[in-house]
Amino acid sequence: MRKPAELLPGTLDLLILKALSLGPLHGYSLLLRIEQISGGSLLVEQGALYPRLYRLEEQGLLASEWSTTESNRRARFYQLTRDGEKRLRQETESWNRVASAMSAALRARPEEV
Amino acid sequence: MTRLRFLLTRLFRRSQLDHEMDEELQFHISARAEALEKTGLSPAEAQRAARLEFGAMERYKEAGREELAFHVWHNLQADIRYGLRMMRKAPGFAAVAVLTLALGIGANSGMFGIVYGLLYRPLPYPDEGRIAAVHLHFSPQNNPRGNLSLADFADWKAGNTTFEQVAIYARSRFTLTGSGEAERVAGAAVTADYFSILSIKPMIGRTFQPGDDAAAAPTRVVISESLWQRRFGRADDAIGRVIEVDGNPATIIGVVRRGYDFPLPNIELWQNVRIKVTRRGPFFFQGLGRLGPGVTLERAQAETNLIGRNIERANPGVYSNMTMPVEPLRNYLVGNLRPALFTMLAFVMAVLLIATVNIANLLLARGSTRAREMAVRLSLGAGRRRLVQQLLTESVLLALAGAAAGWLLAFAGIRAFRAFNPADLPLTYQVHLDWTVLAFTIVISVAAGILFGIVPALQSARADLQTPLKEGGRSGSGAAGHHRMRSTLVVVEVAVSFVLLVSAGLLLRSFMLLQKVDVGVNVPPANVLTMVVTPKATTDPKNPSADSPVTRAFYQRAVENLGRLPGVQYAAISDSLPPDLESDDDTFSIAGRPWSDQEFPSTTLPRISPDYFRALGVPLVRGRFFTPSDTAESQPVVIISASLARRYFPHSDPIGQKIQASQPGGNTSPFMDVVGVVGDVKYWGMAMDARPAYYVPFTQNLSPTSFLVVRSSNPAAALAPIIEREIHAVDKDAVVRRLLTMEDLLSESVAEPRFRTLLLTGLGALALGLAAVGIYGVIAYSVTQRTQEIGIRMALGAQRSHVLGMVMRHGALLVAIGLGIGLLGSLAAARALSRFLFAIGPGDPLAFALGLILLACVGLAAALLPALRATRIDPLVALRYE
Repeated sequence: MRKPAELLPGTLDLLILKALSLGPLHGYSLLLRIEQISGGSLLVEQGALYPRLYRLEEQGLLASEWSTTESNRRARFYQLTRDGEKRLRQETESWNRVASAMSAALRARPEEV
Repeated sequence: MTRLRFLLTRLFRRSQLDHEMDEELQFHISARAEALEKTGLSPAEAQRAARLEFGAMERYKEAGREELAFHVWHNLQADIRYGLRMMRKAPGFAAVAVLTLALGIGANSGMFGIVYGLLYRPLPYPDEGRIAAVHLHFSPQNNPRGNLSLADFADWKAGNTTFEQVAIYARSRFTLTGSGEAERVAGAAVTADYFSILSIKPMIGRTFQPGDDAAAAPTRVVISESLWQRRFGRADDAIGRVIEVDGNPATIIGVVRRGYDFPLPNIELWQNVRIKVTRRGPFFFQGLGRLGPGVTLERAQAETNLIGRNIERANPGVYSNMTMPVEPLRNYLVGNLRPALFTMLAFVMAVLLIATVNIANLLLARGSTRAREMAVRLSLGAGRRRLVQQLLTESVLLALAGAAAGWLLAFAGIRAFRAFNPADLPLTYQVHLDWTVLAFTIVISVAAGILFGIVPALQSARADLQTPLKEGGRSGSGAAGHHRMRSTLVVVEVAVSFVLLVSAGLLLRSFMLLQKVDVGVNVPPANVLTMVVTPKATTDPKNPSADSPVTRAFYQRAVENLGRLPGVQYAAISDSLPPDLESDDDTFSIAGRPWSDQEFPSTTLPRISPDYFRALGVPLVRGRFFTPSDTAESQPVVIISASLARRYFPHSDPIGQKIQASQPGGNTSPFMDVVGVVGDVKYWGMAMDARPAYYVPFTQNLSPTSFLVVRSSNPAAALAPIIEREIHAVDKDAVVRRLLTMEDLLSESVAEPRFRTLLLTGLGALALGLAAVGIYGVIAYSVTQRTQEIGIRMALGAQRSHVLGMVMRHGALLVAIGLGIGLLGSLAAARALSRFLFAIGPGDPLAFALGLILLACVGLAAALLPALRATRIDPLVALRYE
């Protein structure tokens, strides 16, 4: 496996939103889900996750509540709010635009200039 | 909305949230540990690995707390609690700091309230920038804000194209009788467009409209809400009611809300002017106009000047060099105060600045005693930023406490300022403490707190950790440079204090001498009661030269009845009173002795009843007083003052000579026989010499409003109710006001010098206090710095008295240099004050000596405390310091 790439700033939020769009999760499984959907190629610092989650909740993009896991333990679950869904859509579009622009620029051959 | 809910939960359920965060992170770690266990690790190893993987828990928890953003509030709370605890532990220091700040911030709040209220707070007239005050300016009177007459107004109105609306008004005080007690209210006579120029809308009824100032219109009045409430209980049927204003019936047509200070503070009644032009004068009115849309002030000014020139041409001999100055309303009200107000504001801000520097000095001195506390906290891991934050919080707390105490001072100051209102400034509703002033106070308090706290805070937080923890030691580098700067500042404070003290001393001496001046009254002033009496059936107040037999009869009966009351020795009337209530002045001519062209004698002309001189104890030098047989039908007589006799009859007996009063345009007044000479009395103020005066009997020459004078053998104030009752028995609608003893009148006469003296004395005391605090701070700090040196000296055998002398010498040096510099400043200030000084010169040695002694004593006393502390230094403890 290639060495996991470090996250660009700002992308963690987008990953969290995406991961939660597939269903409500608690912090630990959210981490696992992010690793899963990124194919293991993105590195997420474990402890840094939680401050981000609190910030996103304060911004109104997530909502949290305490519940029980399958193994009957207490944990805080996060889910997307409607604002969060909207933000996910916007940020995804924006990311795709930037990415395709960057790819095109990086593919430029000398004779095209 | 959810944001707000989050915020509130975080503020008030902080510990619960903290606990939850803990639980969440723990869950994460145990979940990871479980996953690791499945790869074969033992439970303990798995836990350990998971924890290591996770990283520094505390750091994430702290980051988490930051995201939750409640740490700011939590820290602030902790800082405030800590700050309050520190203040309790050093109450002396806190008291001095809070008191100093109270004076500095309070003075600033009050001054700001006054400046803002007068110069910036919007007047209650919408679009006040378009309202202009208009006056006449012509020779020879040469008054740049001269009055207009009705004729001038008619001409102006006819020629006006630049103003949308024009009006004139005259300030007045109206006597109300009829439904209720007689009273006098502040008011104005105005023309029809006055209310619409000022955009004043009625609460009920209506205000004046075109037609209300027609020559044949009946008397109508608009009253204020306060009058409506007081006199009519806010009754709806007040509209249409008829009341008596100055004895004439007037219909109330409307009520406007309270809150107006123009043209008189707290004005309550407006009466309609009837425009009936019969002659050019009298010049009673002032002009008001609202500029038309798009019209500039310059254009309006050009037009009014043109109108003025036309008026001059059309009325030869009446005006010359006539212009009609136009200025914005606010300018007219307070414009000429601007420089004085800003000077005072700058001064109080400078005082606050000095105060903050003082407190910074004190904090620096204290900083060295808290060095160990800071070192411990730093070594335990407190961030320097947190430490500085906490120390600044303490400083701002001190400043806010000072501001709270200062608010009271500002309140008292503004009350005093409002009470002393000689120029009818718009003070009642414009100048008061409100949210704007409060906001200003908070801003300068926080700024002051940060200003005086920042340097000591940075210094404390910069302290190196080793030295203080090793059993004491000193913090603070660059001590020499800082010390010199602090000493210089204190020397400047001392100099400024000296200037203020000398100025205050000069004014005090002058004031005390002024109070002792002899005004010509030889009865104990508390035994003489005076009052202003206006009978109901008074004449047209706009034309005071006429007099009525009804008025005369009223005064005659009043004086007779009062003279018979028990406790009253003499009762009299007069239209002038000492020390400064001259009603009329005149020139005169002596029969058979025409004046040369240069002579233009100006005299006071009181109109009195026979017992006047006896009531005031004025001595009779020659001849006789007036008697009841000097009536309107008998030979006109006159009594002259001693100075008039001396100046104009130096070698002959004035008794029997004839004097004629003057009259404009040809003299038809009768020649009066001089029947007596009396002692001089001052009617022109206590600071001036008595002017020559001649007295005439009121039976032959009456004013419509006179003073009543009553002399008793005991303090006369107690007689007031009896006297009032007696006057109302003669005329139930007479208005009696300003019942004051001669003592009160004398005191009132010097009200302005008294105010000046008090103000400057207060400022001098303030500066003195600040200088004392400053000296204390600098000396205390230097003692702390020199603790080791002092310890060594004492260990080597120096006596305590030697140490005391050493420290006191330092203090004395500061005071001496300050006094030297201050001496030059005080000489200059004294010269600037010389026109306010009475009977002493600007070099009066007593004032200078007083200031010098006071400052020296206070300064040395301030240095004494730390000096005594220095003598108590235990050399063993001092030597242990690194």
